[in-house]
Amino acid sequence: MNDYQLIILADDKQVVLERILQVTRYRGFLINGINAKVNTGTHIGTIELMVSSDRPIELLVDQINKLIDIKEVKVDSKTQQSTA
Amino acid sequence: MVIEKKQTGGSLLFDVLQQHGVQHVFGYPGGAIMPIYDALYDSDVEHFLCRHEQGAAFSAVGYARASGKVGVCLATSGPGATNLITGLADAMADSIPIIAITGQVATAAMGSDAFQEVDIFGLSLACTKHSFQVTNVNELENVLHQAFAIALEGRQGPVLVDIPKDIQLATVNAVLNDAVNLQNKVKLPPANVGKAIALLSQAKQPVLYVGGGVGMANAVDELREFVKATALPSVSTLKGLGALDPDNENYLGMLGMHGTKAANLAVQESDLLIAVGARFDDRVTGKLNEFAPNAKIIHFDIDTAEINKRRAVDSAILGDLKVNLPALSVPLSIKPWQDKCRQMKHDFGWQYDHPNETIFAPAVLKEISEKMPKNSCVTTDVGQHQMWAAQHMSFQDPSNFLTSGGMGTMGFGLPAAIGAQISRPNDCIVTVSGDGSIMMNIQELATIKRFQLPVKIVLIDNSKLGMVRQWQDLFFSGRLSETDLSDNPDFVMLANAFDIKAKQITLKNEVSAAIEEMLDHNGPYLLQVKINAEDNVWPLVPPETANDKMMEST
Repeated sequence: MNDYQLIILADDKQVVLERILQVTRYRGFLINGINAKVNTGTHIGTIELMVSSDRPIELLVDQINKLIDIKEVKVDSKTQQSTA
Repeated sequence: MVIEKKQTGGSLLFDVLQQHGVQHVFGYPGGAIMPIYDALYDSDVEHFLCRHEQGAAFSAVGYARASGKVGVCLATSGPGATNLITGLADAMADSIPIIAITGQVATAAMGSDAFQEVDIFGLSLACTKHSFQVTNVNELENVLHQAFAIALEGRQGPVLVDIPKDIQLATVNAVLNDAVNLQNKVKLPPANVGKAIALLSQAKQPVLYVGGGVGMANAVDELREFVKATALPSVSTLKGLGALDPDNENYLGMLGMHGTKAANLAVQESDLLIAVGARFDDRVTGKLNEFAPNAKIIHFDIDTAEINKRRAVDSAILGDLKVNLPALSVPLSIKPWQDKCRQMKHDFGWQYDHPNETIFAPAVLKEISEKMPKNSCVTTDVGQHQMWAAQHMSFQDPSNFLTSGGMGTMGFGLPAAIGAQISRPNDCIVTVSGDGSIMMNIQELATIKRFQLPVKIVLIDNSKLGMVRQWQDLFFSGRLSETDLSDNPDFVMLANAFDIKAKQITLKNEVSAAIEEMLDHNGPYLLQVKINAEDNVWPLVPPETANDKMMEST
């Protein structure tokens, strides 16, 4: 298993968090932690998502990027490590 | 152009639908969508009452796939909405642009477990491209514009818009803006075809692997020009059928689990696979790590997430096929490989000689395909009859073969044919079904009756859930569990009950006259074709097996 931290910028729309969590689970990633906050000035939400999986993280990044309300998905390379 | 108009949310819905060119919708009324149905009463949009919301969803899918337009379906809250789910999942798997409008309980009642309340917005997350719940009537117009843009943009797909009853009733000063265009959120880099051209030029045994994306991209002409320029041996997925010219000498047929021997062997021996609008689905690849083991991969797609998803690629070409395919059109020197593929096509061609008097379904479907008018559209259900139709019928465009590919949904064929017939009233629409599948949405015979739709229903009847029975025989030691349907209703009598002319045939010598009678009939017709319950679909690549290790008979 590899650990990753994703930093996701999203429009502050209803259910955006639910959508991200659903895709993450469905695509085979375990959710280890989450921080989410909304900048009320810009209406942009920032979601930090800690996940682990045997699957390449690019598969999840591409799928989250397809969600309509997502503006950006980055992998924090500092957090990438194996827990196997 | 901007028009200001005071109206209800329900009335605004139909104005926006018309603004997007929607003339026909499929649906079923109920309590929480009554204001929308009241607005429909005054609208020019034509509504087709289906007899189950799943039928409405599949009719919208059939309408979209046959016409290239967005299909629209309506349902009430709760069970009405949940009955749409299978159709939405089907549209999601096959990337079909439909819009589902659901009524919802009034906003004040939401979250209170009200009568016929279900969280369809939450349920939609896993089976739509996107979904909306409108809680302010002033947002309704923009949401509807966005729904159309999202359904059609990039990789197409289903969108659900959930509208509470009070929002449908609320007065809105609608602006009726011009339809919005979505900003292209994921910027695709300009396609770099240099590496792909080098790979193609070096290849000795390249194969073109064509999927449903070609039809979705409206790039059939560009694909055929590409094939003409390169003379590549080519294969098709189930959903790609019709994109390639079936009469092209280098076309080897469908690949995968029930693909032709020539197609599967060519792909397995290839040194370069050019995937165009295809996604390396498990029914195509068989055992993934033994699929085309020596091939490099060029992958054309509109969806970034499909690149490297199941098979690592050597060159990815993202974007519009209409633009990108011509860029790779280079003449190739691959005559020995072309000759070998053509020889395999000849050596492993279909055999239609069948020893006894009973009816051979592949021959029936081939004959229908040859006799039906040009530009006919065929829909299927799911199972043995579906694979026989894919193998033995020929199509000149993907919009002429509508089948549930990704989801494999039994019950698809009949309502999809209804949608196709309404979108193309002057074309012959044939649905090929099985005696298991047809019962899943049999209520739609009432829709055919009501609108006098001249759909031709070919019912391949083996009194079994044939494909499951085949697998039980082959892989479960012949333990036939729950696949016997010998107590099916009398299908001729059943069709007659809906004023549909029907006939049963059981012998080979009845086939030709019956097909002609069906095709000549000026109205709906059900032809029940009784076949041997033991007939199997061949070839068959067993699960988790390489595609060159197909079974050809038992």
